[in-house]
Amino acid sequence: MIKENAEVVVVGGGVIGVSLAYGMVKKGAKVILIDKVDNRLTASRGNFGLVWFQGKGKGMPRYVEWCIEAIERWPEFAENLETETGFNLNYEKTGGLEICLGEEEHQERVNFIEEMSQASRSGRYDCEMISRKELQGMLPKIKLGKEVSGASFCSHDGCVNPLNLLKAMNSSFQQKGGSFRPEQSVQKIECSSNDFKIETGTHSFNAEKLVIACGLMTTKLARMVGMKVSVIPERGQILVTERTSRVFNYPTAGIRQNYDGSFMLGSSHEAVGYNIETSYEVLQNIAKRAIRILPSLKNLQLIRSWAALRVLTPDQKPVYLESDQYPGAHAITSHSGVSLASIHSSILVEWILEERIPLGFTAFHPKRFNVQEAI
Amino acid sequence: MFKKQYESHETVSIIFEGKNLDVEIGQTVASALLVGGDMVFRSSVVSGQPRAPYCMMGVCFECLIEIDGIPNQLACMIPVREAMKIKRQQKNKE
Amino acid sequence: MAAAITARAHGLSVLVLDEQPSAGGQIFRNIESLEATRNSEFSKLGQEYEFGSSLVRRFKKCGADYFTDRSVWQIDNNLQIHHVSASASKSNSVISHCQAKRLLIAVGAMERPMPLPGWTIPGVMPCTAVDVLYKSSGLIPDGEVVLAGSGPLLLLIGCRLLDVGVHVSAFLDTSMNGALLKALPLLPNALRSHKYLTRGLSLLWKIRKAGIPFYSGIQNIEALGASKLEKVRIGKSGKFFDVTADLLLLHNGVVPNVQITRNLGCEHRWYDVQRYWEPIVDDWGNTSVDHVSIAGDCGRVAGAAISEVSGHLAALETVYQLGVISKVERDNLSQPHRIELARQKHVRPFLDKLFQPSKTWLVPENDKTLACRCEEVKVSEIRETVRMGIKDPDSLKSMTRCGMGYCQARMCGLTVSEIIAEEKKVSPEEIGYFRVRSPIRPITLGQLAEID
Repeated sequence: MIKENAEVVVVGGGVIGVSLAYGMVKKGAKVILIDKVDNRLTASRGNFGLVWFQGKGKGMPRYVEWCIEAIERWPEFAENLETETGFNLNYEKTGGLEICLGEEEHQERVNFIEEMSQASRSGRYDCEMISRKELQGMLPKIKLGKEVSGASFCSHDGCVNPLNLLKAMNSSFQQKGGSFRPEQSVQKIECSSNDFKIETGTHSFNAEKLVIACGLMTTKLARMVGMKVSVIPERGQILVTERTSRVFNYPTAGIRQNYDGSFMLGSSHEAVGYNIETSYEVLQNIAKRAIRILPSLKNLQLIRSWAALRVLTPDQKPVYLESDQYPGAHAITSHSGVSLASIHSSILVEWILEERIPLGFTAFHPKRFNVQEAI
Repeated sequence: MFKKQYESHETVSIIFEGKNLDVEIGQTVASALLVGGDMVFRSSVVSGQPRAPYCMMGVCFECLIEIDGIPNQLACMIPVREAMKIKRQQKNKE
Repeated sequence: MAAAITARAHGLSVLVLDEQPSAGGQIFRNIESLEATRNSEFSKLGQEYEFGSSLVRRFKKCGADYFTDRSVWQIDNNLQIHHVSASASKSNSVISHCQAKRLLIAVGAMERPMPLPGWTIPGVMPCTAVDVLYKSSGLIPDGEVVLAGSGPLLLLIGCRLLDVGVHVSAFLDTSMNGALLKALPLLPNALRSHKYLTRGLSLLWKIRKAGIPFYSGIQNIEALGASKLEKVRIGKSGKFFDVTADLLLLHNGVVPNVQITRNLGCEHRWYDVQRYWEPIVDDWGNTSVDHVSIAGDCGRVAGAAISEVSGHLAALETVYQLGVISKVERDNLSQPHRIELARQKHVRPFLDKLFQPSKTWLVPENDKTLACRCEEVKVSEIRETVRMGIKDPDSLKSMTRCGMGYCQARMCGLTVSEIIAEEKKVSPEEIGYFRVRSPIRPITLGQLAEID
């Protein structure tokens, strides 16, 4: 059994765990980041790479503000990370589209945007509807399908290469002295009055603070330190085509063209438990919708497809929680680990290390679910 | 690079990079283009380095070439047809 | 072909989907047309070709529905099989579907990729590529040819090139400690007289007699040239020298093509002697996935004769599983095949051992070598990523793009398992392989969406 000590142990090498660990070493903390053995089905590796604002936070104004702040921090966050590592994140903040097919979808989107912007307290909900004609004007190099009726456009939105993001944060974390310990599966957590002992089959880690940010495993591990956090998997499937010349310069929730010219198409929402197979029907539906929006995609070859599991809380918004029973133990989970990486690595790190609690932070406490249940 | 060991029986005419070539019927685009001349079919999408057919059996995807305006076709699997227009592929232009 | 013949003989309805334009697979490629139009060359290809020709004739007459030019790109769990033309202009070929009760995979083997510096330069090819060009189009190399590698196929193809007057300027033997020459005469008589080996010996003798410079114990090979191959740099015992060449033909043995069995989730194991993955099967070719069996070189690579027998056996099992014959009938009918199998098989372990690929050519020493040709990922990048703490191939793929390109990791999969295993000082068995997702072959979005 190898013994190691640190100020903080972060459990979870996905985008959330790594962004926290990265942010903490930047603050000078001694951090050990541990990750599990099998990373095949994680959202961090299988996501669409959107740095996204529009549509997020319905019903929780504090989350809308949180997202805006994250998005505003992104350009600087990306620049620092690129400077530190020399990796190219391919981060682009072009504004993002949600394209509608037919009048019904268009009207639904109009209503949604209206509702969101009224609910947002600060009036910073910056998202507008554009007509089909305006949309075609923004995309001069590619012809829209007949059914396209318009889109919502949000200037905050953008995209990033999520794999390079993960790699860059991990690399910078290690460069700055952080210890990355992969292939560790946590078997036991012992809590005493002033520290935590985390045991895996081969290692024993000691730390004053503990952060649990391990996606779908969060529920199980949080329970070990007296926290109740419930998350469920939701499968999403993604297709990637061959490279072609750059013709589509705005990311959308279902179609985006990568820096290398390949198109990424997504994405499904399926409650199928821990199954990460792709399925013919779903891939076919994704392809059908993409072709209805951009007919010329039909000649592009599909090279890869995959499925990964989103990590969803009951209201699909983040949970940031410190254990009452064992202060110093934190559980963190969110579906939007990429979009929020900038704020997780800064403000959330200050909360964990320095106990600086952001204004209105209780909104992210899971007790909100109990309240809803009570009603 | 390669030469034909015997006279062609029956030929079709294809157009490679704007030039007419008479090639034997029944063979693939890759084998037709490997006779004489240089072998370069495309440039790599990553570095732009020249690439040529490799495995000749549909495994390696090195022989990708533009046929009748459609890029990334497997030249080692596709038979030649009369009046087929074939072009080398260059690394993606912006 | 063998499996279809046997299955049809028992009245099954059989659909054969072949990616190639004509029957014969890789070994008997283009055999019908060769026999019909280039008879003089056909006779040069040897006795096996006569046998192949009779197999094709029986296959064509057996009554199976035979479709050439069909690529399977997706197989659903319920054995719904989706296929598409392998060659038609990709925008105008429609997907076809069929529903099977049993699936037999007989996709054969492929050459083991032999990564070395410069192996993407035009003019470097695996040796079977030349065989394909010869058999299908009557093409032969023009200029100076260097042969490099290990394995019986390289000898065979080398001799065929000599027969047709190709100029071979060097033969670089990379087999383990140059064992090839020394080992053969030392064999027990029983083995030495086996036709595989006597043939191997005569091939070797022929190459020696032709006066071709023959180098054993090669440690480095590097292909040099800009837009085409110009020379091959050879390293032996710390010394380097160059040979001018127009064509460098590589060969480091053949490995099962596991793309489909991996995609289906069949269990595989690591065959350490020949260092490849093979699906785990029982004596009848059944894989770990229900109703799916394999035959031929997409399992343990064993050549044409054993492949044929395995096809008959897998078909008898299929006939039995579908309730047409009893278990006893299956066992009785399989007797002659079992005897033939035993006769053919006894030399294989020795051959596998003799032509064991040496480590130098599995894990490139030169860090600049591209492991992944499509995305141009260097060996050094893989090593660095492993040192960052990544162990499984799928995570490595997401970190480096290695295996994300057109070939869908067919060309880098084995190399990746080998490099990670070496870094971690474990067997590739512990490292595993990429998860192979659909599409098994690229198809267009239009084909997928079934939109014209």
